[in-house]
Amino acid sequence: MKRRNKLLALGLCAALATASLSACGGGGGESSDGGNTGGGDAGGKLTVAIWDNGQQPGLQQILNDFTEATGIETQLQVIEWNSYWTLLEAGASGGDMPDVFWMHSNEAVRYMSNGILLDITDKVNASETLELDKFPEDLKNMYTYDGKIYALPKDMDTVAIWYNKDMFDEAGIPYPDGSWTWDDFYDIAKQLTKDDGSQFGFCANPSNEQDTWMNTVYTLGGCVLNEEGKSGFDDPKTVAAMEFFDKLVKETMPPASTMSETGTDVLFGSGKVAMISQGSWMVAAFKDNEYIAAHADVARLPKDPATGRSVSLYNGLGWSASAGTKNPEGAYKLIEWFASKEMQQKQAELGVTMAAYDGVSDQWVNDTDLFNLQPYLDAMDDVVFRPSTKSTLAWWNPMVEELKKPWNGEEDMATACANIAQIMNEKIAEEN
Amino acid sequence: MEQKAKLMSALIHLILILVSITMLVPFLWMALTAFKSMTEATSVNPFVIFPSVWRTENFTTVINNMNFPVLYLNTLLLIAGRVIAAVLTATLAGYAFARLEFKGKNLMFSLILFQMMVPGQIYIIPQYLMVSKMGMLNTIFALVFPGLVTAFGTFLLRQAYMGLPRDLEEAARLDGCNIGQTFLWIMAPLTQSSMVALGIFTAVFAYKDLMWPLICNRDVMPLSAALAKMQGQYTSNYPQLMAASLLACIPMIVLYLIFQKQFVEGIATSGGKL
Amino acid sequence: MSTIKKGTSRERNEFLWGWLFILPTMIGLIILNIIPIFQTIYQSFFKTGDFGKGNIFVGADNYIRLFGDAEVWQSVINTFKYAIVEVPFSIAISLLLAVFLNRKMKGVSAYRTIFFLPMVAAPAAVAMVWRWLFNTEFGLLNHIVHNNIQWISDPRIAVFSIAVIGIWSIIGYNMVLFLAGLQEIPRDYYEAADIDGANGIKQFFNITVPLLSPTIFFVSITRIIGGLQVFDLIFMVMDKNNPALYKTQSIVYLFYQNSFVENNKGYGSTIVVLLIAIIMVITVFQMVAQKKWVYYN
Repeated sequence: MKRRNKLLALGLCAALATASLSACGGGGGESSDGGNTGGGDAGGKLTVAIWDNGQQPGLQQILNDFTEATGIETQLQVIEWNSYWTLLEAGASGGDMPDVFWMHSNEAVRYMSNGILLDITDKVNASETLELDKFPEDLKNMYTYDGKIYALPKDMDTVAIWYNKDMFDEAGIPYPDGSWTWDDFYDIAKQLTKDDGSQFGFCANPSNEQDTWMNTVYTLGGCVLNEEGKSGFDDPKTVAAMEFFDKLVKETMPPASTMSETGTDVLFGSGKVAMISQGSWMVAAFKDNEYIAAHADVARLPKDPATGRSVSLYNGLGWSASAGTKNPEGAYKLIEWFASKEMQQKQAELGVTMAAYDGVSDQWVNDTDLFNLQPYLDAMDDVVFRPSTKSTLAWWNPMVEELKKPWNGEEDMATACANIAQIMNEKIAEEN
Repeated sequence: MEQKAKLMSALIHLILILVSITMLVPFLWMALTAFKSMTEATSVNPFVIFPSVWRTENFTTVINNMNFPVLYLNTLLLIAGRVIAAVLTATLAGYAFARLEFKGKNLMFSLILFQMMVPGQIYIIPQYLMVSKMGMLNTIFALVFPGLVTAFGTFLLRQAYMGLPRDLEEAARLDGCNIGQTFLWIMAPLTQSSMVALGIFTAVFAYKDLMWPLICNRDVMPLSAALAKMQGQYTSNYPQLMAASLLACIPMIVLYLIFQKQFVEGIATSGGKL
Repeated sequence: MSTIKKGTSRERNEFLWGWLFILPTMIGLIILNIIPIFQTIYQSFFKTGDFGKGNIFVGADNYIRLFGDAEVWQSVINTFKYAIVEVPFSIAISLLLAVFLNRKMKGVSAYRTIFFLPMVAAPAAVAMVWRWLFNTEFGLLNHIVHNNIQWISDPRIAVFSIAVIGIWSIIGYNMVLFLAGLQEIPRDYYEAADIDGANGIKQFFNITVPLLSPTIFFVSITRIIGGLQVFDLIFMVMDKNNPALYKTQSIVYLFYQNSFVENNKGYGSTIVVLLIAIIMVITVFQMVAQKKWVYYN
């Protein structure tokens, strides 16, 4: 026992000699080499960050091909949406960013205008493999600032309705074929809503903007941003569309609290809800859900009864690199790799997402026989690019916040629209 | 009288058993859900308590997605780094504050007391900016950094040294030991149990720390923060979340079950001695 | 003459060794804690620019905004609601459990092991499993009570549901502290009381509570401070869409949102200064009040 104490004391003594001198940096010794998964930056290993778990397996394959072709090692990290932006911003202010990562239209301008992203204009112009004309204009413009290119399009997404076939059968309603109007949709949703609260026709959260209510707004002739770049929430057509949507919220949806707590995809995937409106980015996850795979299918978004138009919002992510990356050559090579025709095709074939590259998304539709994904492609006939301004989030978040009130029944929709118009116009005015 | 005592004892057992069930149910539910499919977990009619098949897919999925060996290692390094640094610095300082007389001691000790009074959130932003200026974000060092020294531990060890008899030191000094030797050979070994207590206390709280790892690191993460980041906007897949939670909790629970006595005593001594 | 010399050399000796011993701790403490306190206060007078660049001095603007910010004051109310439920209940329950376990009977160590278990679980895991237990549609709890209570999304009750998780997590810890305190109360006090014919409840209030009052005081002061700093549970349980978020978000949650999500570290610092002021006031108040009820030998 005594000997053990002496040994301990001896160890303490040895440590003491170093600790007393280097206390504030103490522990530093084990840090530099300890278990750091991304520690090999200097060795040229590229860290790649994304936020969608569902796309991880497919993208990993594309990255493996990249390593095989170029010898550059990569490491893929998935960080969920909220933390993704917290950490990216922290990295941008503090200097430690992933080398290559996804960019979104909400944040793109802020990142580009502050010099956070790697300017790839020269490299893109000098590229022999890229076919930029095959990508949609909106998407390319989104990731260009002051004439400089900061990201290349990764994918494209549109919106469609998912419906539960069993519930349609049970109610004797024929499956939607895409010829329906929003009025038809309302009637069907109402029929599929049971009084005892065991089943609802539809569901959507205020924060499911791009995939739910914004499509209704644009289809029914309204807009979120008007042609002058100001809020469209004071447009009577927008207000009318939102009031229509409010009717859906009140009469065909579960309580707002239930939707927020559980998530609309889970409610649909557990047979609580007959229809949801979802973006094409969810398809990969839905394929893995055994209930949805067995019971659901896809239809195009309803039309406006007056004009016959069915508008889907669309958006696309970009692959960008950090301006501070230690390996700008490698990072660019990877971005170019993702934008090449072969890899865009592979991304579609693997069922990861629709491609941004024109004409290869048929592969994505044909990849599965579980659902008919054609409506997502058809939606491309009439699309509106996801609205954005210089600092989108400054008004986007308050807009969603305000919409929670009518959803919870604390405010009527017309008042909420008026408030949103005011907040948006204030924030947009501050941008300049 | 005898009868009454028996009844009383039965009643107490009943209460304790009910509380035990309340404490255990969340853990059991975590385990049961982890073995279910998404469909079973979200089935209401009938409500499923036990999975029809004990499937392990949820575990394999999260193990593939989250790289658990690295998470375990990161957590271990975080704990080891903080425990070693805290015990070492606190033992030295605790001895000096308890047994040595020197100019400036009272002022320095009042700084220690002051630090203990102030809530930790006030340090976070500057600490974050420091690590970021050092270019050490996203490293194990960043995780350990705020725990390099401990005012609380210093206080704890000071109390331990105060409780030791003076004549031990006097004897050592008469034998010709200098202060350093006296500390090392005579005094430090006598406060082993307090060091262990501080070590366990530090380890438990390092393991539970959430906000700091959440902001300072992107991918070099301990278990707690990795779990928090898993629960995302589009992934309310509870069976997978529960499988990951279970994997994150098991190592610490196993350690606790093996070393319960030390755990409970460690927490009792350090927690109660403020 | 020689004794004086010896004395001074010993003094110098102690001075050198003393500073050598405390130096690591003090350097660390000053760098990690003392300087940051002033930096945080300093920062609370600035508006943070995009990506931390171009901080602008705004004088007391952040404080003026703070005083007019309904969200902040709501978070203060939420935090107090949480603490007012969590602290007394967790203390009462754990004190009772400690008294039960401080007897000679079977299974004491098994009970103690079980009660302490939440203490060694990752907080993120605890929050997730409770979020799942509380789920309105698929949660075990609503299945058992045959109801559709919106535990964590009804603004009226969500903060209390979260306090329940807090209680569940902490009673084992408090209990261990109480058990340690109870073991120091001499047995003969109870034996004397038995002879006098005092029953268990009387003994509890006349012997246990007064003699344990220093521990009770210590636990309550640390738990109140801890309760006012609640973050993990709210961060993990409350989704951004949750209609009850406004009525549950705590001061530290708002601090996190402002500092690290919206990246206005200046305003985040202002919020944390408010938190510190609140905690200081409460601590001083408790220190004064303890003289009335805490019994030291």
